Amino acid sequence: MLCIIALIVFSVLGIFSATHRALAKEALDCVFRRITLRPCNTGFKEKIKNKIIVKLMSRSVFVARLFNKHFEIFSWIFFILMIGSTFWVVKGGYNFYLYGSCNGLNQSGFCAFDPKGENNKVTDISQQCGAVEKKEENVTLKNIDLSTFPTKNIGSKDTVFLIGCYECDYTRKAYSDIQNLVKDKKTNYIFAHYPAKEDTNYLSEVGYCVYKEYGERFWAFNDYLFTVDKVEIYQPEYIAAILKNFDFDGKKINDCIDNTETKKIVSDQVNQLRKTHLYGTPTVFINGKALVGPKPLRVYKSMLNKFIIF
Amino acid sequence: MLNSEIVRADFKIFNESSNKKLPIYFDNASMSLKPVQVVEVMNDYYFNHPTAAGRSSYKLATLTASKIKEVRRRVANFINANSESEIIFVRNTTEAINLLAHSMKFEAGDVILTTDKEHNSNLVPWQILVEKKGVEHKIVRSKNDGTFDLESYKELVKGVKLVSMVHTSNLDGTTITAKEIIKIAHDNGALVLLDAAQSAPHQKIDVRDLDVDFLAFSGHKMLGPTGTGVLYGKSNLLEKLEPFMVGGGSVEYSTYTEYKMLPAPEKFEAGLQDYAGIIGLGEAIKYLETLGFDNIKEQELKLNRYITDELNKIKEIRIIGPADPSLRAGIISFYVDGVDMHQFALLLDEMSGVMIRSGQHCVHSWFNDKKIKNSARISLYFYNTMEEAEILVSSLIKIMKII
Repeated sequence: MLCIIALIVFSVLGIFSATHRALAKEALDCVFRRITLRPCNTGFKEKIKNKIIVKLMSRSVFVARLFNKHFEIFSWIFFILMIGSTFWVVKGGYNFYLYGSCNGLNQSGFCAFDPKGENNKVTDISQQCGAVEKKEENVTLKNIDLSTFPTKNIGSKDTVFLIGCYECDYTRKAYSDIQNLVKDKKTNYIFAHYPAKEDTNYLSEVGYCVYKEYGERFWAFNDYLFTVDKVEIYQPEYIAAILKNFDFDGKKINDCIDNTETKKIVSDQVNQLRKTHLYGTPTVFINGKALVGPKPLRVYKSMLNKFIIF
Repeated sequence: MLNSEIVRADFKIFNESSNKKLPIYFDNASMSLKPVQVVEVMNDYYFNHPTAAGRSSYKLATLTASKIKEVRRRVANFINANSESEIIFVRNTTEAINLLAHSMKFEAGDVILTTDKEHNSNLVPWQILVEKKGVEHKIVRSKNDGTFDLESYKELVKGVKLVSMVHTSNLDGTTITAKEIIKIAHDNGALVLLDAAQSAPHQKIDVRDLDVDFLAFSGHKMLGPTGTGVLYGKSNLLEKLEPFMVGGGSVEYSTYTEYKMLPAPEKFEAGLQDYAGIIGLGEAIKYLETLGFDNIKEQELKLNRYITDELNKIKEIRIIGPADPSLRAGIISFYVDGVDMHQFALLLDEMSGVMIRSGQHCVHSWFNDKKIKNSARISLYFYNTMEEAEILVSSLIKIMKII
């Protein structure tokens, strides 16, 4: 047992230290002998055992004696712990690769590969009351009407639905990856602006009206809004200037915004989005599966691929 | 009395500037350390006259030949041999004993007598003769305290052709009363071979006083280089021996159909020899002679007494051999019931850098007979100090607390 534990431990340490590299080689020799049904007669086990005992002796003779007397038991315990921890590390790595978090999809617990939890950070939707607990499994598209949101690539077998807000950092972080994904995989793409902050409500109306009046030209305008200054975007005059730059008719857009039907539709859109039980932006639905927070592109891709191949 | 500081300065391994942690070396029965003088003369050979002796007549070759001759003379003087022609250079004690085992004429029924504490080198060659030639191998059992049983020996030596005995045991350090044993052997018509691997480095040996017929010892246990050893034989006996290995340097001449062997020692030294090693051996002997065996023994006994006294305070430790350290030369071999002494040795090394030997010390037969798994062996030499002995003892005490 000790040889296997030592091989793994010293192999990792050997990356940084020549001394441990030599021990890893000895451990490998020992493991090789065992798997070829030969006795491990290199004295490696004794060497390691005694190294540990001497370290323990300097702290507690009692513990050293205990370790010496019950070495085999300790070896088995360490072996089982190592197998367990190896399993969790591999699972963590797998989860990180697939979902951007060691703990699984949208799980925000500590992850060694993403210690700051960047892949799970969201802009909190503070105004939403907690009737439904903020959990990824509660976020759903069931019974949600998406017909009024900007849509492209209709007819594709895959659907990507992004709920984000123009002024939110984490949506901005995910946005370009989502665009690349949609472009690369040619998926059906639906975009919804969620006013995570109340004073950007009118941006939903602007977006709706641009899409209604100008159709496909909306997407370039939408892309641009994710690149502009986050402070300026709060200013209607600034948005009006952008509309002008895009050669949109400002009067037509304003008329649309002032229309009561528009108000109703945009209000309905927000209500529909709230019904998803989303708790932060960005929230991305890929074929109905919710991903909360800005995931790496590979995670989005893996949701579309049958196998983990890009 | 030895000055440890001065002596240790000759051993580079003790040079603090080149070693972070100074080694505490107590495995001298296996291999001694080498003083700088020995290494220097060997380097001198390789750098300045790396030539073959006894073949060519140019100056560098004759220089090597003269140095080898000088060493042979020095070795002869070291053991007080009658003549340098009685000194045969070999690789080690093992080769010396094997040379004799192959060169003496043995027939079925001949009896070889050994002790019960022989190194495999002085046991297996005779066991092979038992198998191949039908000779008989008898063993003198030691007394309960590990000392030689002279009375038993007197009975067993009758009709024996060769008595081949370890002079000082590498197992427990006991030294047999060689002179008396040899006389009894001769009185019974037997020849005697002494395995002096453990005695030559630690005590003055006088082959003429002992009247021993053959004597074997190694260079590497007495400050010399590895791959060097000596077989001494009385001239008249060497003349009767058939060479074990023949070739260049061992014949006076040869034709397509015949050859004429050179006399001893050349007829036993076929092929190019380890000239650097032999020159190093000569320097090692010179070093030991300068120190004086009385001083060496005094230092070893002082340390042995201290270590023995301290070990005797630990009731679980059993020392192999006589209780009196003066009867155990520089060796303290011990074991603890139910404990693997390999672990003991490993812990000592890991904990304090103390190096001792563990195992059966190539005396498997004794351990198997006594059903003792193994032992730890502390073997001393003159460069060991009381401070080292104290570290050894304190480490042993700590280890006893955890096993």
